[in-house]
Amino acid sequence: MDRIKNHPVLGESPVGKLVSFTYDGKTLQGYEGEPIAAALRVNGVMIHRYTAKRHEPRGVFCAIGRCTDCVMVVDGQPNVRTCITPLREGMKVQTQDGVKPLDAE
Amino acid sequence: MKVIKKELIVAGAGPAGLSAAIEAAKSGVKATVFDENAAPGGQLFKQIHKFFGSKEHKAKIRGFRIGQQLLEEAKKAGVEVVLNAAVIGLYPEKEVLVQQGDEVVHYKGDAVLVATGAAENMVNFRGWTLPGVIGAGAAQTMMNLHHIKPGNRVFMLGTGNVGLVVAFQLMQAGCEVVALADAAPRVGGYGVHAAKVARTGVPFYLSHTIKEVEGRDCVTGVTIAQVDPQFHFIPGTEKHFDVDTVCVAVGLSPMAQLLKMDGVEMDTSSGGFVPKCDESGATSIPGIYAAGDVAGIEEASSAMIEGRMSGAAIAEYLGYLDHEARAARERELDASLESLRQGMFAPKNRGKKIEKTEEGIAVSENLLTHGYVADDEISRFPGFRKQVGIHPVIECTQNIPCNPCQDACRKGCISIGDQITSLPISVEGSECINCGMCVASCSGQAIFLVEEDTEPGYGEVTIPYEFLPLPQKDDRGFGLSRSGVPICEAEITNVRSSAAFDGTRLVTMKVPMEFIDRARFYKKA
Amino acid sequence: MLDIEEKLKEIGPYVPEEDDDLLVCRCEEVTKGEIRKALHEGITTIEELRRLLRCGMGLCQGQTCGTLTRRLVAKELRIRPADVTLATARTPMRPLDMGIAGNDRGAGEDLAKGGLR
Repeated sequence: MDRIKNHPVLGESPVGKLVSFTYDGKTLQGYEGEPIAAALRVNGVMIHRYTAKRHEPRGVFCAIGRCTDCVMVVDGQPNVRTCITPLREGMKVQTQDGVKPLDAE
Repeated sequence: MKVIKKELIVAGAGPAGLSAAIEAAKSGVKATVFDENAAPGGQLFKQIHKFFGSKEHKAKIRGFRIGQQLLEEAKKAGVEVVLNAAVIGLYPEKEVLVQQGDEVVHYKGDAVLVATGAAENMVNFRGWTLPGVIGAGAAQTMMNLHHIKPGNRVFMLGTGNVGLVVAFQLMQAGCEVVALADAAPRVGGYGVHAAKVARTGVPFYLSHTIKEVEGRDCVTGVTIAQVDPQFHFIPGTEKHFDVDTVCVAVGLSPMAQLLKMDGVEMDTSSGGFVPKCDESGATSIPGIYAAGDVAGIEEASSAMIEGRMSGAAIAEYLGYLDHEARAARERELDASLESLRQGMFAPKNRGKKIEKTEEGIAVSENLLTHGYVADDEISRFPGFRKQVGIHPVIECTQNIPCNPCQDACRKGCISIGDQITSLPISVEGSECINCGMCVASCSGQAIFLVEEDTEPGYGEVTIPYEFLPLPQKDDRGFGLSRSGVPICEAEITNVRSSAAFDGTRLVTMKVPMEFIDRARFYKKA
Repeated sequence: MLDIEEKLKEIGPYVPEEDDDLLVCRCEEVTKGEIRKALHEGITTIEELRRLLRCGMGLCQGQTCGTLTRRLVAKELRIRPADVTLATARTPMRPLDMGIAGNDRGAGEDLAKGGLR
């Protein structure tokens, strides 16, 4: 999804400092300090994890840290709520499969 | 130190919590507010629409500006706001456990106020866990805080005020809203909120709900169907929309777990789960209070007053305010709160079907079932008037507690009177000077300036406009009906913006005279 | 408290419904059918459901499904949602890393220094 560049009430959106992070090994960019989930959505990433039992895709649902559906493996740590965790340069973000990274065997 | 002592501990830095802390601090109480988020203000900073009410309720001011005002006031009053601090436990001895960073800290308050707000309700239709199905609050967070579009094509489930307001905000963010649906047979929120969505051409499906959200990895479409009065699907009534996002706004529930943990008596009589408390929010445990949505779902405006009442009560409880001073303050706040609890949408009227306005006028049935007042219904309301020369037409047809339009007009063209819920009257014989203040002041965007016969066969309609791109003078396009259908050619003759309008633009369009009472929105050709 | 035997007679045996496979608890992936079945086996409170099926016991701790579960239990047991016996509310109210829970500035401070003696 796109960033809102100009808003009829809020005016021009602030332009953040671009930082690089990896998502399942691919290098992506986002604004420093914005939620990881926001940076992912701008890059078209909708699936944050697959569930343990049914192996179903999940993504952002509540966006305020309540529902925990958007958790991913961030810098090796699973169950990180990406909707409220600020993006930093060099972060390693991985799709979570159950409680492991998707690409781990 | 094992336990940190505080005078007043507030859980939640939203409108209720901040207001309580400010009010108590003004009497000398040292107030500390904990909030789990990185920024204070609760949901206020996501509210970009103008609020309802009267001047004392900060009506016609946008929610996020009210949030800024509250934060400044809190700072001035010396309120301590601690962020990234989740209250994870509350005990009857007024012991409060707070997670701060990587540790758990024990606090003890002389008084504790729980102002944890509400959580969104959900419905579990087929496909409700797919990425792309989001809560209405999530949509607001993404677009109004983080400046990203929640989706490109969005379907909204729910026509309460949250659903209506968020649908409008989605369009302001540049998303396409394909439809709104509600399992209930009537629109749940304010008619004016519905009408401003409907006139852009978004269809409303009442007595409809989601049958299935489709998609393998994420949402690709939604199928809705009509339901009977028992909420069972009626076969053959399915409608499909290609969407990438489904937004769910089906109500809120108080987040009262902290109070429950604490052991205060709960009230389940209304089917909800709220603490038993008095007007000031005092619970069954002395010194423990509740204010805002956690004590019963209402608007943010009410939450702020409730917070102030709790703040005054706490100041008395802690010995900073004598009983008389507190009682006087409470009377003042109570009057203000009561005025917000009047009208068709008052808590006491919840679930009731109202047939007539306070003035005895039959309500617009079309507004309740389709989201807009029908052309043949509008003339029975006192805001509608025909007159030679420019004049306001106020399409506000439900008794809601709101009166900024009356204050906005210095010429006395609009009258509501003392009763804040009365329908605004477009005053016969008054002289409108085309200042546009009423149009911009109406939080429901329900006021239009109409001037007939500006040239032979044509007249002009001025509409409030809060979308991009902004129409330009001399643009040509279509006048849209109240239901958003193009009905006539229209030419833009004026576009006004002003600091006093606070982001609302006034767009004037020239339309053929026979459409002057029907054209209520503009779309570029 | 409900009389379980009376209630079971009243609500009759479990009859599968077309949408029993719908999830109620998103975190622990517990379905409507699993919950309905449990209710027809004599479970009557949210607390029991949580222990038996783990619904509402996942990361979000029932923040999302709490109201849904309550409504489902009420419908199935033919009682008002307000009369459903809820689970005990306990610390922590928010998902918390066990390491943080252990890093308690209360008694934990002394324990961390020397441990129990």
